[in-house]
Amino acid sequence: MNARPDHNPDQPPATDSPAYVRVRGVRTVLGGKTIFDGLDLDIPRGKITAVMGPSGTGKTTLLRHITGQLPVDAGEIRVDGRNLAELSRNQLFELRETIGYLFQNSALLTDFSVFENVAFPLRQHLRLPEEIVRNIVLTRLQAVGLRGAAELMPAELSGGMARRVALARAIVRDPGLMIYDEPFVGLDPIALNQVLKLIRTLNDTLGITSVLVAHEFAAVRRAADWVYLIAGGKVAAQGHPEELAERDSPWTRQFFGGEADGPVPFQYPARDYAADLGFQAGGA
Amino acid sequence: MSQARKQLAIGDALAQVGAAGLFLFSILAAIPGSLRHVRETLRQIWFVGAMSLVIIMTCGLFVGMVLSLQLYYTLAKFGGTAALGTVVALSLFRELGPVVTALLFAGRAGTSITAEIGLMRATDQLSAMEMMAVDPLAYVVAPRFIAGVVAMPLLACIFNALGILGAHAVGVSWLGLDNGTFWGNMTANVEVWSDLVNGVWKSAAFGAVVALIATFQGYTTPPTSEGVAYATTRTVVSSSITVLALDFVMTAFLM
Amino acid sequence: MTQPRRSFQIGTGLFILLGFAALAYLATQTTSVANYSQGDSYAIKAKFSNIGQLKVRAPVKLAGVRIGSVQSIELDQTTLDAVVRIGIERRFDEIPDDSAAAIFTSGLLGDQYVGIQPGGSPVMFKDGDEVILTQSSMQLEDLIGKFLVSGDNSKKSPATDASSPVQAQPENP
Repeated sequence: MNARPDHNPDQPPATDSPAYVRVRGVRTVLGGKTIFDGLDLDIPRGKITAVMGPSGTGKTTLLRHITGQLPVDAGEIRVDGRNLAELSRNQLFELRETIGYLFQNSALLTDFSVFENVAFPLRQHLRLPEEIVRNIVLTRLQAVGLRGAAELMPAELSGGMARRVALARAIVRDPGLMIYDEPFVGLDPIALNQVLKLIRTLNDTLGITSVLVAHEFAAVRRAADWVYLIAGGKVAAQGHPEELAERDSPWTRQFFGGEADGPVPFQYPARDYAADLGFQAGGA
Repeated sequence: MSQARKQLAIGDALAQVGAAGLFLFSILAAIPGSLRHVRETLRQIWFVGAMSLVIIMTCGLFVGMVLSLQLYYTLAKFGGTAALGTVVALSLFRELGPVVTALLFAGRAGTSITAEIGLMRATDQLSAMEMMAVDPLAYVVAPRFIAGVVAMPLLACIFNALGILGAHAVGVSWLGLDNGTFWGNMTANVEVWSDLVNGVWKSAAFGAVVALIATFQGYTTPPTSEGVAYATTRTVVSSSITVLALDFVMTAFLM
Repeated sequence: MTQPRRSFQIGTGLFILLGFAALAYLATQTTSVANYSQGDSYAIKAKFSNIGQLKVRAPVKLAGVRIGSVQSIELDQTTLDAVVRIGIERRFDEIPDDSAAAIFTSGLLGDQYVGIQPGGSPVMFKDGDEVILTQSSMQLEDLIGKFLVSGDNSKKSPATDASSPVQAQPENP
């Protein structure tokens, strides 16, 4: 956390600098369940923004909104100034070419080697000479420390290595926006630190705007410049991670303090316990 | 209650058919885009076609042999063993070749297409492609569909050829039918266009059906391991039923 | 990484080639196409009063060996005979021109073919010749009819000789 002395902890996001992603009044209903109800948030340019929240609050849904995979029921989302609802399919695909997306389970193409996986976006969209493709791919693999693994198949990689390859693939076209969906899940501490360092380095050296969805507050507070806590379909709290951890609100206490019960109930909604066990019916 | 459930099941089945029909349109719409992925299409022809060769050739040989054996004894009752070659060839070209090949194809290639696409769905590979601005319909689904349409008729021809050879081995080499009679009778009664080529068209239609069902089941499967397992089973069941029903319709109205 | 790609393409090419080879094999060996192009051939004519079920491309045999096929069947408008054009392969060019042609059935239910019975003339058939001696197809219905008619006046008709399988049939009331 002391790796970024230039960071100003008091700077609120997106009020003075133009936001890369602007979410306004988003309402989403999926399968009869209201996921978002009036969600507003901004992803500031060139920063790492973490989105946190209990499971099932729609963090991944939010990412799918931002990438245009899922239309919103109401409200507006602008990415790099463009309103997603107004884009045609082709324009959406053009926009996506500027977005790097790191999937929770890496999502490497099983048929292709590591090299071909990283080269995939280049081969699909650009007609580059093989020499240049090779150079680009190898520099990206070098950046994630896996240049030596270029000829391996995805099945031969460990979880941490697969995620680093997926990261190399996500940045191969120099995206303006990087989205990390649960990048730390299932990683051992060493791999977690490696991925964490890469996220930080990419942001610092290339100035990529980053969105990070994660549960691990310990990891998030070392990486993120700003944290949104989403609960109940809205932003429940936001702030700098250090400051948020200190804040005294039931949401933050439960989420960052690790209390089992709180605004998110430990018990799934149920009938009365005693009635369920049959005590009242038996007249005991 | 059970009445309502039955109606629900019928509604579900109809919804599936409708969804598969719409899926066919989106595949067809994606085919122009998939022309950029010729290599991928060739690779899929290799996977669904060449990889099915062993089962197709073995089964073709045995089907031809058993057909010859059965028909020989039946025809012998009427003193018509001379017609053995004709009957074997006609049953193979018009019916057994296309249908049995399609059923084997559903079991061998259809299931692997469903499982592969289902796993790609479950491991987010399809979403990853969308995020890399690659249309999975054009890159994943359409090449497999084309491969099915192309590979099926070729496999059916190979099946037929092996079937004829098997029938010849049993009828002529084993049961002692005259070689000239076997071929002569066959060539006198089997027509290229109305018998052989019609069967080829049939098998192309079956290839499209099996490939459509296999890709549809894989593409729409719930992204879990149970989902993929069920989808694979459904591919075999639905394609078998559809192939046999379509076979009847095509035979009744088109041949 | 270009190596596996190339081998895929070669393999796919081989598979497609194999499929078309199978189709070509079936088309040329098992269907009527096999009877079309037997190489160079010459044609002779034969008139029959009744050809029965004889079809175009039916085999033409001499001593049981296939030597050609029926090329066309037409009706002579004046004599009301069937005119059958017979294509004979060029290599069988030593067939005496007084040979007879008859229409036979292979087996009881088999197809009909033209059988050539060689004569003794020193002159051989050549393109455009006509077969003088012909014997029409034996019609099963005729045989049965003759049998029924002759059945009443005990056995005196020789026509029943050729219809021995038919004799087993129960008599029609």
